[in-house]
Formats: sequence, structure tokens, C-alpha cells
Amino acid sequence: MSRIGVFVCHCGENISRTVDVERVAKEAGEIPGVAYSCDYKYMCSDPGQNLLKKAVAEHNLDGALVAACSPRMHEKTFRKAASAAGLNPYLCEMGNIREHCSWVHEDREEATAKASDIVKFMVERVKKGKSLAPITVPVTKKALIIGGGIAGIQAALDIADAGHQVVMVEREPSIGGHMAQLSETFPTLDCSQCIMTPKMVDVANHPNITLYTYAEIEKVDGYIGNFQVTVRKKARSVDESKCTGCGVCMTKCPKKKIPNDFDQGHGMRTAIYVPFPQAVPNTPVIDRQNCTMFQSGKCGVCQKVCGPGAVDFEQQDTLTVESVGAIVVATGFKLYSIERKPEESAIQGYGEFGYGTIPDIIDGMTFERLASASGPTGGRILRPSDGKEPKQVVFIQCVGSRAREKGISYCSKVCCMYTAKHTMLYHHKVHDGQAYVFYMDARTPGKGYDEFWRRAVEEEEAVYIRGMVSRMYQRGDKIVVMGSDTLVGVQVEIEADLVVMATAVQAQDGADLLAQKLGISYDKYNFYSEAHAKLKPVECATAGIYLAGACQGPKDIPDTVSQASAAAAKVMTLFAKDQLERDPVVAKVNEKYCVGCLACKKVCPYGAVEEREIRDRQGNLVKVVANVNPGVCGGCGTCQATCPSKSVELDGYTDEQIMAMIESL
Amino acid sequence: MTPGKKNLLTYSYYPGCSLHASGREYDISTQALFKALNLGLKEVPDWFCCGATPAHNVDELLSLSLCAKNLSLADQVEGDLAVACAACFSRLKTTQHHLKEDDTKRHQVETAIAGPASLGKPVKHILEILARDFGLARLEESVKKPLLGLKVAAYYGCLLTRPPEVPELDDCEDPSIMEDILRALGAEPVKWSHRMECCGANFTLSRPGVVLKLSNAILTSAQEAKADCIMVACPLCHGNLDIRQESINKYGTPEGSLMGNIFGSDYIPGSEDGARREMPIFYVTQLAALAMGVPTDKLGLESVIVDPRPLLYEKNLL
Repeated sequence: MSRIGVFVCHCGENISRTVDVERVAKEAGEIPGVAYSCDYKYMCSDPGQNLLKKAVAEHNLDGALVAACSPRMHEKTFRKAASAAGLNPYLCEMGNIREHCSWVHEDREEATAKASDIVKFMVERVKKGKSLAPITVPVTKKALIIGGGIAGIQAALDIADAGHQVVMVEREPSIGGHMAQLSETFPTLDCSQCIMTPKMVDVANHPNITLYTYAEIEKVDGYIGNFQVTVRKKARSVDESKCTGCGVCMTKCPKKKIPNDFDQGHGMRTAIYVPFPQAVPNTPVIDRQNCTMFQSGKCGVCQKVCGPGAVDFEQQDTLTVESVGAIVVATGFKLYSIERKPEESAIQGYGEFGYGTIPDIIDGMTFERLASASGPTGGRILRPSDGKEPKQVVFIQCVGSRAREKGISYCSKVCCMYTAKHTMLYHHKVHDGQAYVFYMDARTPGKGYDEFWRRAVEEEEAVYIRGMVSRMYQRGDKIVVMGSDTLVGVQVEIEADLVVMATAVQAQDGADLLAQKLGISYDKYNFYSEAHAKLKPVECATAGIYLAGACQGPKDIPDTVSQASAAAAKVMTLFAKDQLERDPVVAKVNEKYCVGCLACKKVCPYGAVEEREIRDRQGNLVKVVANVNPGVCGGCGTCQATCPSKSVELDGYTDEQIMAMIESL
Repeated sequence: MTPGKKNLLTYSYYPGCSLHASGREYDISTQALFKALNLGLKEVPDWFCCGATPAHNVDELLSLSLCAKNLSLADQVEGDLAVACAACFSRLKTTQHHLKEDDTKRHQVETAIAGPASLGKPVKHILEILARDFGLARLEESVKKPLLGLKVAAYYGCLLTRPPEVPELDDCEDPSIMEDILRALGAEPVKWSHRMECCGANFTLSRPGVVLKLSNAILTSAQEAKADCIMVACPLCHGNLDIRQESINKYGTPEGSLMGNIFGSDYIPGSEDGARREMPIFYVTQLAALAMGVPTDKLGLESVIVDPRPLLYEKNLL
């Protein structure tokens, strides 16, 4: 006969409001095999845990059931307490009478009956439970950072400085990301390049960091502590080991009029190029789509002038496999492109703003390039159409953001601040110019942020108009901006020379595909999901993968850097141990009954099942069976449901346990 | 749309009050166009006013009930419901939308009209029928007299595409359905700024100053874009732009109108030399029927205020 203890939690009033917990505890005491039952206001608190520990000792319990919240919330807590009391932690289970019962029901009588049922079948499960020992796996103390923007750079430097190896993979030819494009940063107006480029150089020079630029993640295998990541290094057409970065190839390249993405298409570059002069690594890449050699086979000037002979037209993509123990995802964001509604997209465009057809309507990032000393205008604010200095500039906030009817309901968080910054930069450069800002709300929480915004309004003479813009059109060389001033209650028309739209921050292109490779979850906007919004903000639900920066949601630089350092700290915590303990809830194959059909192998989402040959002493093949690698197994139970001969079972979720639970009802 | 033996497609037809009164030429040209395209059009028996703007401003339930009753009458006639007036179209679609979303309201309305509300009857604007059901390719093939050289400002007004969840006609702020039809007819749609702006609508009676100002901006914008004429798909827009055009041209923008402008100059539009020529206003069905070779005396061209015939004569379309 078992001796099980049942502990029913009130969860303050969360459970006891709807469920008669005392009755549940009393009825539990009557279940055969239950040696002790009680109820308590907060089981998870220190006295609550002590109650459990004391009961285990006093009543000589051989199993425990805590009827409380979801096991996702506190299973670990109670298993730890049970373990401290000398019980095998896997013989301590939770019955979820909060999320599955009190929170979703109103009728007290019925909810109490359901809670009792939950307790009843969970007791049966505990009865048939087995003592399990945690699985230990080795940890590879090397981290992979995906993305070389400020988030990735910060995380990489923190982990590398702690003495661990780091591999950084960046999709573009240079690291630096969006921050390298910015002119000056809020709220201190320090030059972005001046604080960013030294960090980029630190990454390149760090002995612990291996940098792959112009490279993408091809495939991710393995699990926490033991990931195998295949990196595709795209053909650069320039041998990085030979190139000295002298730049002669770029000066001689005859194709000189290719719009430069780094300057948002407003500057020009050559076909063999580095995205910007401070690029890291300072190794050019050939844009094969625009290179005469690749298109027509006639040119090759860069190869002829290259002293070290680094230009290699034959270069192919290469695949490299890296073994790492942890992954930090820092893939950043892109800005919403406001054009006509794309086909098959949930996101509506802004055709009424004439974006894409009126050259002097630009986005915030383009304004950053215009204001940047390294930008296409050398830091002068000149409008794209005719290169004149605009005297009236209209800034529009919340374009795409907070617009449910256009498909995005979230706030992009950085625009209020960077628009205030833009008005200042404009005012500093064009003294007789006037900036207008259309805004919904000015959202400026953050250290020194509200003061910064007030400065834009009070000292830098930006006129803030609370209201949205309905339409813009070109009249002569002006852009007529039609909008409303909702504080005064009138419609407004402004003839602007330049319009800057603070467009929504969106997840990077391909963010969903990368998430699928990594096996991490993402929301409907393709932002990656953290494991817990408050308590696990940098961890993914998938163990060993961490998030940093705007790939998780819109973020400014201070927040991004904080999160990146937090992710680095998590990685270092993981690397502090040589062995990693994992839950032993994994599938096991009964080799006696397994017929080797390997149906389980086909359905296993983790790739944990492999074939195993059983041979006799003479080495003759007896049979082939399935074998589960416990390190890889995710414990989902799909194999168990699939196996036609019932010869694979998940520890802690055996058929015997589940049948007993069903029979108890 | 029901494929018929006699006609290519058959529609039930809700003309609405305007088309039997001030917008008679819209009705005449719609009938003529459908006949020319071999499309059946059968008027809903005993239809009555959809309530238009006044009803839903006064009593929402009344407005919904009026439309629900009309929809149930339309249910007795075969084919999707063709609607020409932008306001009737908007009200009928809005009613279906609201009643589908709100069971309480549907119950109230069904009690009021003593019968089920017909929420499944597809309500289609003439533009939709031409561009989608009949199809632009077939429309282009059917053209007998292409409207070559005619520069047209396609004017959508407020209700054809808004609010976005109701009419489902085209992109709510940047549509192209009218321009697509114009191209199919051989005409040249101009790119202009005020195609989605309000004409002042029914303020034409209570606050004519508002209409003068707003419609003036529309006419000016069309003229600046070098349009020969404006094409509309709403009898009220037509009324404001056509009937009031003389007063608009004569008086310009009245002082002290509703539209304050606190920044920059108050832009009072007008052509460069101050004078403005008359701008004919066509219904989409008039231009389409003209292109289909319908005799010009069956287009209702004679009953509008700004006579479009000199323009058509100049373009060799008469």
C-alpha cells in the first residue's frame, strides 16, 4: 500500500474563491493509499514547503501530490522540497486545480467536484510512478551568437571576456547592424559610430571570438550544452585570408552607381564593396547580381589590380559545422516599408501617403543617414529629390505602429524618442527651418528621456501636433500634408519640403525561418517569444537558447545592451558547470518487444531516435531496434503514441500510469 | 450573379431614391450599360429608402431595419444585389456587417421587420460587377468605342471603400478599381490628389459653405492634374460637383468656413489665371455605356447641369 501525501493549496484566493479546498483535502484523505492530506494558503511559500517536508518525515510518505497551480509554474519548487525531505523528486507531482479548474469555472460546487477528480487521478499517477534519476550531459563551453548588431556584439564581448569561446554569425558583409547606421543617439546625442565602431573592432580582435560575416545559419541540431550548428559562409568572391583591405579594387571597379543599402539606397557604391568605410571586417564582397564579370564574363578589373591576389571569382559557398553549448539569438529588426498592401499579407500598406512615389517622403533610418557625417550628404540635411535644404519638415510618428486597422497593434517604442532627436538634429543643422511632429502620444519613459523630449519642444522649437495624417500629395515641389490637430479640433494642412515617417519596427525578414531551424517560438509578428514575460525575459522556452535585442520586440539601444548582457550572464551561468542535469522524462525502448519498424524515428520531432543493432557474441545480427538518445529526447511522447507494439514509453508518463488515471474516474 | 439562359449574368437591382430623382441619369445609364453588356437587371419590387445618412444619425435601429427589410425584399429576386448609389451600397453592407457581428441587434431588427434579416445576399456595387464579375478583360473586349484621349479624374469619395471592414471593394485608402475600369474603356485616368476626399455630402442643404469649400478643392485638384472631366459613382457626389459647380466657380471659397487652417497659408485653390473652365461630371455607367456604343441619347447626358457634350464632341466621342 502506498503512503501518499496530498497538499491542497488555496493560492491566496485564486483557488479557494471557486473551489472548496478543505473539502478537496478531506476527500483526498479518503482515497486508498493516501496517508495524509491537508490544505494551506500558500503551498509555494517557505512555510508551505516546510509543511510538505515535515509531512514526508512524520508520516513516512512515499509519494506527494501538490494540488495547486500549473506544474509549469511550481513543479520544480515542490520537487526540490520533496527531494530535501528525502523523497525521490519524480515521485512528487502537481495536480493543476488553478489554470485547469478555479480560473476557468464559476460554479463552486462543480469546480470543487472537478478539483477532487483531478486530485483523485493524479494520486493514481503518483502510485504508479517510479523513482527517476536526472540525466547528466556534458556542456560544450562555446557560445554561438546569431547577429552582429549591438545586441550580438555586447553578448559576444561579455561571454568572450569571461573566458569562453564565441562564434558570431552575421548575415551582412560587416557587423555593426542598424546602430552603425545611426547618426547620433538619444538621450545624450553622442555619435553612434564613435561608440559603436570601437566595439566592432574589439569583436574582430578578440582572441576568443571567431567571426563569420556574410554567413547564415543553415541547420541547427542537438540540444542544450551540445548544439551542432551548420553555418553557410556565402561566397564573398574575395579570399579573407589574403585581402589586406587596401581598397584598390573598389576604386577601380567600373560599376559605381549601385544604390547602397547602408545609406538606405541614397548613396552609391561599387559592385565590389564594403558597406561602409568603418566596416568590420574590412574585406570587400562582390555583389554578383551587379558585377559585370559575373553577368557578362567581361571585366575582372578588381582581380587584375588586387596586389595580394585575393579576388576569387570561382569561390563557392562553404559549410562549416560548429559545436556550441548555448545560442544567443540577436537578429534585430527591420523597418516597415510603407507601400501598397502586399498580396497575401495581413499588413495593410499606406498608399495614401504616397510613399515610394514621392521621393521626399522618407523613413526615419533614411533621415539618420542624411544627418550622419558618414552619410550620402556628408551630414547635411538635403532632400533626395533636388538636393535642396528643406525649410519645413514634417515628422509623422506611429506610421504602421499602433494601427490595428493596418495590421500592427503594438507600439514600436523607439520612435517618440528618435523623432524628438531628429527635430533637434534638424534644428541644429538648419537654423531657419521649422520641424512639425504629428504624434498620437509622446511615450518617453526612460532615464533622461522625458527631459529630452521636453527639450525638443521647449528649447529646439519643434511644433508638436497631436493628431494623425490622413493623406499626403505632391503639389509643385512641396508635399501637402493633410492631418488633424485633435487638441484644437481642426484639420491642418502643412506644405512640407520633406516628410520623415517613423515607421514601425518589425521582425527581420526570415525571422520565422530561423526560428523554425532553432526550434524556438515566435509571435504573430515574427518576434521571438521569451519563456516568461517577467521572470524569464531573455530565455527561450527551448533550453540553451537566449534572446537579445529587437528580435524579441522593439527596443532602444540601452534596453538592447541590457538584455544582451543578461543573455550573456545566462550563458555564463550555463557554462559554469561541466555537467548539465536534465529532467529524466525521456522515452525508453523495450528492446525485447521492439520489432524495429522505426515508426518512432519517423515521427520524432527532435531526431532523438536512432537504429541500434543487437548482435550475439559471435557478432551475428540478431535484430535491429530503435534506440532513444536521452540527451536529445524532448519528452513529448509522440513515439509512445505511435509505436504499434507498445514498446516505447515515456518515463513519468507510462501507459500504466495513464490507464490508472483514466480508470480512477 | 446567376448565369442565366438569356443573359450572361443576372442581378437583382436596388436603385435607391436618388436614382429615381436627382440622379435619374445614373439609373438610365446603368440600365443601358447592363443591357449592352448582356447583363440581366431586375429591380427589387416595392423597395424603399435605405435611410441614407439621416436615419443612422437619428436612430441606428431604424436605419438597420430599413436596410434589413430592403434586403429581405431583394432576397425574392434572383441574383446578387446590384447597387449603384455609394450611400445605399454602404448602408446595405453596413447593415449586413453589423447584424452578422451582433446577435442582439439582429434579434431586434428581425422583430422590427417581422421576418429574418437576409445577411447572405451578396451586395455588389456596379464597379465591382464591372471589374470583377464581368471582368476587366471582358470589359475591354466589349468596348466598341474606346474613350481615347479622354483624361478622367476618378473620384471615389468617402463611402465606396470606407470603413475598411465593410465594403470590401478595394484598398480603403489607395484603391484602383475606378482607374482599372477607365483603362479598360480606353480612357486615361489622371493621377490626382483629391480622389478620396469628402465633397461635403449632405451638408449641401444645411451648410452649403462646407460643400463649396470641399468640392472646390476637388475640382481644383482635378483641373491641376489636367483632367478633362471627373468620374463618380455616387449620386450625391455628382450633385455637389455638378449642380453646385456654378456657385463654386463663381464664389470660390467662402470666408469663415468650417475648415480652419492654423499653419501656413490658407490655400485657396483656383487655376493659375484665376478662371476655371467647367468640368463635366460623369457617372461611371455613362462613360462605360458610351464606350460600349450605347446611343448617346440613352445616357442621360442632357439632364446634367454642366453639359458634357462639348467635351465629348471635342474628343470625337459623340
